[in-house]
Amino acid sequence: MKPKIGIYGLTGCAGDQLNILNCEDELLKLFDIFEIKSFVMASRAADESVELDVAFVEGSVSTAKDLEDLLAIRKKSKILVAIGHCAIYGGVQAMFMEKEEWIERYQKVYGKQDAVTLTAPLEPKPLSAYVKVDAALPGCPIEKEPFLKLAGMLIHGVVPKNPDYPVCAECRWKENECLLLKGEICLGPLTNSGCGAICPSHNTGCIGCWGPIAEENYAAEIKLLIDKGYDLDAVIKRFSIFGGTERAEKLRKFLEKEGRK
Amino acid sequence: MRVLKLKKGDFVLFLKSLKRFGELWGPVKKGDSYVYARAEPENFDLKAIRTIIPAKKFFLPKKSTILKFKNGEWREHQEVVNRVIFGLHPCEIHALNIYHKFYSRLYPDTYYLKNREANLIIGLSCIPDDKCFCANTRTSVVDEGFDLFLTDLGDKFLVWIGSPKGETAIRHVGHLFETVTAEDIEDYITWRKERDEAFQLKIPLEGMPEIVSFSYESSIWDVMGEACLSCGTCTMVCPTCTCFDIQDEYDIKAEEMNRERLWYSCVYREYSMVAGGHNFREARSERLKLWYTHKLVGFMSKYGSPACVGCGRCIVSCPVEINILTVVKALKKEKTGAFWERMEVKNA
Repeated sequence: MKPKIGIYGLTGCAGDQLNILNCEDELLKLFDIFEIKSFVMASRAADESVELDVAFVEGSVSTAKDLEDLLAIRKKSKILVAIGHCAIYGGVQAMFMEKEEWIERYQKVYGKQDAVTLTAPLEPKPLSAYVKVDAALPGCPIEKEPFLKLAGMLIHGVVPKNPDYPVCAECRWKENECLLLKGEICLGPLTNSGCGAICPSHNTGCIGCWGPIAEENYAAEIKLLIDKGYDLDAVIKRFSIFGGTERAEKLRKFLEKEGRK
Repeated sequence: MRVLKLKKGDFVLFLKSLKRFGELWGPVKKGDSYVYARAEPENFDLKAIRTIIPAKKFFLPKKSTILKFKNGEWREHQEVVNRVIFGLHPCEIHALNIYHKFYSRLYPDTYYLKNREANLIIGLSCIPDDKCFCANTRTSVVDEGFDLFLTDLGDKFLVWIGSPKGETAIRHVGHLFETVTAEDIEDYITWRKERDEAFQLKIPLEGMPEIVSFSYESSIWDVMGEACLSCGTCTMVCPTCTCFDIQDEYDIKAEEMNRERLWYSCVYREYSMVAGGHNFREARSERLKLWYTHKLVGFMSKYGSPACVGCGRCIVSCPVEINILTVVKALKKEKTGAFWERMEVKNA
């Protein structure tokens, strides 16, 4: 019997789901191997009544509806895979790191709290803030090859695993000159590899869109950049964009410790 | 060893004649640095110092498929490319000799050996810059590990023939080569004096294996560990780093699958992690200690020389200035002025 899967999106740009559709040649293989019960981006014929072997979920939990959907997906799925930056780290929408309470920030933008009536807003968080996540596939958006590789691991009963080394590894393999050495802000050492060091290969510093690596030495890099003459605020801003909720917390503590802000 | 003379003007012609041995690779400019690239010999830079990535990439590729699964069975796989690699400096050839010891003795690595077999190695003399210290590591002169070695004397090269393969390489174009004259020898002596006097950097390596061993509990490793970004650059650019990882690439339909071998680094978190999640070197300081102990102590006791050839790559590559120069100085209680020393880096 084919494993049953579902592909879902919470709050995000839907780019991860789109890149699964972009698998093109391999799509037929995917259909062959999996029984896809829900993939609203591809087909409205979704069956939410059945239990799933694997659920792939993109997007952050940013509304009450997101949370409700996520809990339901978790409940009926044996394996839940967070796909893309938003699902794993919270996305760009989770970059906020000021002390101010979330609801005050929300009201600054949207006015009253009940301005949005469709569903109640929540502070954007990654899936892991609410449910157990069994595997994660980083990327912004995810890339086709790593997705197929992960699907391959699942189908062969292998515990999915992503590379645990930074963008710098791929950057050295490409024989690029190190942008940090050239005095640019490059988040390569702090960022999950898998993209093939695309930006540094085009002489642009890594912005960290594949998310923070498990053991990121952000403090050392912040101090290094300040040593090179960068302004602390500029560095913190850059580190926050794709830092997610976890790094936002780390940076807050770092700044407190350094006695600034 | 036979030594002949080649006119500068015949250099391109000679290298082109070697295409029958395989693809031509040599140092070309990339940004402010150099890389070994496939190119026509006119484009090779005779003044190139160190390339970003050393010539080890030809013998242990950055990523290669070593097993292929097809039609229900696994088969050994290797893409062997015949190459002529030009422009290896003495340090680089010494590094390859270290590679050779490592990969051919205790557990001969057939992939490495085949790659070694497929390449014709042409060394090239150089004038050291301020990051070179091969005089310190006694790797500034080389007498084995190459097929041909060219010493650039301005309007001519002296060509050392280091192997039967090298002999074959020049035989086809024997008319380009001349006998070395007394004047050529004079010129070589003058060049050699200039080269030997050009070294600016001296790393105090004296007493090194013992001092590293004695410093195992030194707090200096913790200070460096706080600054280390674990980017892995030191190991990727080091010409004597041999470590690799094995990864399986699964195919959803199990029709075709690959087992990949790729460069890996001992400064990465997972390097010393075992099944169950235990990590023998949880702290970055432990990993740095491993690297320097391996280079300066471990390799020494096993093969009789340090696994450092004085190429200076770690010195120009580490963003936080943890390199052979600052580590050796620090272990000898000297000030280094390095970023890791200047900054009291503490994680929040």
